Amino acid sequence: MLPEDPIFDAVGIMVWGLDVGIYDLMYSAWGWTIAEIVHFTGLCLLIGTVGMYDLRMMGLVRGLSLAALHRLVPFGVLGFVLSASTGFLFVVSTPDQYLYNPAWQTKMGLLALAGLNMVLFYLTASRRLKVLGPDDMPPLAARLFAGASLTLWLGVIAAGRVITAFRPPAWFWCAWCA
Amino acid sequence: MIDALAWIEQTRLSLFVREDFYAYFVLLIFHAWGMAFLVGGGIAVSLRVLGVASGTRLERFRGFFPVMWLGATLAAVSGLGLLAGYPAKALTNWVFALKFACLVAAALLVRQMARGAFPRAARGEAIPARARVMAAAALLLWLGGVAGGKMLLYTNTMLLTTD
Repeated sequence: MLPEDPIFDAVGIMVWGLDVGIYDLMYSAWGWTIAEIVHFTGLCLLIGTVGMYDLRMMGLVRGLSLAALHRLVPFGVLGFVLSASTGFLFVVSTPDQYLYNPAWQTKMGLLALAGLNMVLFYLTASRRLKVLGPDDMPPLAARLFAGASLTLWLGVIAAGRVITAFRPPAWFWCAWCA
Repeated sequence: MIDALAWIEQTRLSLFVREDFYAYFVLLIFHAWGMAFLVGGGIAVSLRVLGVASGTRLERFRGFFPVMWLGATLAAVSGLGLLAGYPAKALTNWVFALKFACLVAAALLVRQMARGAFPRAARGEAIPARARVMAAAALLLWLGGVAGGKMLLYTNTMLLTTD
């Protein structure tokens, strides 16, 4: 039995998924498996590019020009798009299992913080990095942004991995429900 | 072989992984982190050899190797824990061998690139075409390793020997 939810219409989302063919695609023989492979490939791309950039910006790896290394970041964006779009397919295919899931809500919260951290970084500390040489230690603010970024992305992964442990209705979070 | 798997399933470690609420998921988290660092580092090196971020010094990508080693260690230790919990699930599935083969081959290719292309780059020489082919192959193999890992969940013929 689904709750009175003033924001999300889980049944409506699922009906939409059925109408546009997402449901059939995901529940085809290899649909869910392929979506999971793409989801995790995106995650590896993100850690392999943004995560490695973060490690350099934290000062744990030296000898690489941050401005030049930033060319890896578009591949991280590609990874994020792969993960986010397949994540969307998962949610549309079985919305109640995600919307009211404590782990998924935590994951979305951490994702939002990672996004906010990125926006603040590009608005503030990123400008001062362009003049740094390959062996220079970035300023403290940049190191903190990088540490926060990596920690938040690892948090996103961890929360994602435990989604199946907190499945509704055994676990049920809905702070916005009546 | 089934007898050996059945014996593993009755060890205290195996029972703990299956019966403790947290154990299996903690192992899953560490496995994902480890794989992300191992495969992620491998992707970064391969992309660089293929010409992305060419303004950086290739040989200094060696700095990411400890991260990859850390990832490999985390993935291997947590992977052994997961394997202890459900040995029959993985060891009776050829996809598990495929996953392992892909990851080992990709890691060997990265080592080969580090021995061949890195010293050349340090001397200011161009990256040889052979290294670029290796990098492209490594990218595909890392992807194969990830794909194999995800497919394990959907291709196993048994979960426990008692099934």
